[in-house]
Amino acid sequence: MNTQLETIHNIAACLREKTAGRQPLVGIVLGSGLGRLADAIQDPLVIPYHSLPGFPVSTATGHKGNYIVGKLGGKCVIAMQGRIHYYEGYGMDKVVLPIRVMMALGIRTLMVSNAAGGTNLGYHVGDLMIIKDHINFLPNPLIGPNWDEVGPRFPDMTRPYDPGLIKLALGIAAEMGVSLHQGVYVGGTGPSYETPAEYKFYRLIGGDAIGMSTIPEVIVARHAGIPVFGMSVITNEAHDDYAEDYVNDGEDVVAAADVAAGRMTRLFETMIERMTL
Amino acid sequence: MTYLETIHTAADQVRARIGQRQPKVGIVLGSGLGKLADLIQDPIVIPYKDISGFPVSTAIGHKGNFIVGTLGGKCVIAMQGRIHCYEGYDMSLVTLPIRVMQVIGIQYLFVSNAAGGTNLSYHVGDLMIIRDHINLIPNPLIGPNLEEFGPRFPDMTRPYDPSLIRLAEQLAAEEGIPVQKGVYVATTGPCYETPAEYRYFRAIGADAVGMSTTPEVIVARHSSLPVFGMSVITDVAHATDDEDYVTDGEAIVKAADAAADRMCLLFKRLIEKL
Repeated sequence: MNTQLETIHNIAACLREKTAGRQPLVGIVLGSGLGRLADAIQDPLVIPYHSLPGFPVSTATGHKGNYIVGKLGGKCVIAMQGRIHYYEGYGMDKVVLPIRVMMALGIRTLMVSNAAGGTNLGYHVGDLMIIKDHINFLPNPLIGPNWDEVGPRFPDMTRPYDPGLIKLALGIAAEMGVSLHQGVYVGGTGPSYETPAEYKFYRLIGGDAIGMSTIPEVIVARHAGIPVFGMSVITNEAHDDYAEDYVNDGEDVVAAADVAAGRMTRLFETMIERMTL
Repeated sequence: MTYLETIHTAADQVRARIGQRQPKVGIVLGSGLGKLADLIQDPIVIPYKDISGFPVSTAIGHKGNFIVGTLGGKCVIAMQGRIHCYEGYDMSLVTLPIRVMQVIGIQYLFVSNAAGGTNLSYHVGDLMIIRDHINLIPNPLIGPNLEEFGPRFPDMTRPYDPSLIRLAEQLAAEEGIPVQKGVYVATTGPCYETPAEYRYFRAIGADAVGMSTTPEVIVARHSSLPVFGMSVITDVAHATDDEDYVTDGEAIVKAADAAADRMCLLFKRLIEKL
């Protein structure tokens, strides 16, 4: 067994000990400002990342650093309150480590969320977008020797986001009267926001939303054949008109995400309730 | 030594050499544009090799000096030679000179470069005001945020200062210097673009392509420093895959040289008006 995989299994073993036999079926990654989904988790066990030996600690605005194990939609889930971002200066192996730990723990589905800028001119702050596909501008997390125990050297990416889960989400959203976009997420490194020319570039190549995370996590999950559901909360809008009065800052993003987080929480909860795992 | 300590140590060493002078404008001289340095009056030359932590630039047409003196009646600090990503340096070293100039207290940053025209109406020797950019070089702000300089997620809505652009257009008209205005796309290099890559850059909205500048601008904008940027078009798109087309570093240095005089005049007038 390689040493990185060993580290992951050690962290998973440590987690198992702390969660005393609970078996999470769904892994959830909470994006910037979306941490309030964690409040809906019943009977929660909070495990700070820093209590896990070998675990990188997140430093981003609006991100805490905890695993939360508990019940959501009647099923045992493990949520990441705070992810590790590439822009923080971590290597890709560290960025995807928390996902690999959850996979080692035995999750059957991964749900990812993020705050993103809308490159699609029809998107507005506070909109929710089902991620139907992505374009990756971050370094690929699978570069390096392949972990044959986990998945193949050349993993397929034909359906990065599970079509069955997308259908389930659309059905529930219709019942709830929540409107959803379905779009393509572009992942860049950040940490500076996009220039107007970059927004236009991403729109021209088919991106509907742009963010600084998520894709590495999805790639390692798909490497292992884990079905993924992804959702973006649109927290700022494309601005390629060079408006002189436009202002953009991280605090706004966190505030806008907070408002939409409630709807996303109900959607995720109902989806988990209806999943057959 | 931490990166922050490296920045401050280097700034202290530069300050020790320039005495009471307080540069207001930082200027980055691109490939072959070093002749602007000759216009700086009463210059103090500080070789990069005399500054702790500074890498020495190895690019063709690049020297490695800070020059502090007077241009357009104002105290400026010019970088004669920049540090490029393609030389193999980490992005923190590529942008170290900009951080040092920030600590020294510049209030404006002027950047220049030699670029290939992806816009088919551009010609060798044209000057282009950089209106916006697309960065395909690793972002220099990846890593722990330097809170002293700016926020974790800096805005890039106006990477190039709109009022400096307007002023430059006005001065160019007065001087009878034709200028283009376009989007600069930055890639790592060091190989030049293939015809397919030229088409790609044009398709995504770029007018010129080069191997520098955007990391410096991102770092300057991290601290909200107003930036003015100009490209000298030293090479043009060759989308037809012509069999006889040749591109080389020497030709680029020559073309940049011919256009440099006009750019120098424009920079000088702009600084005068600041």
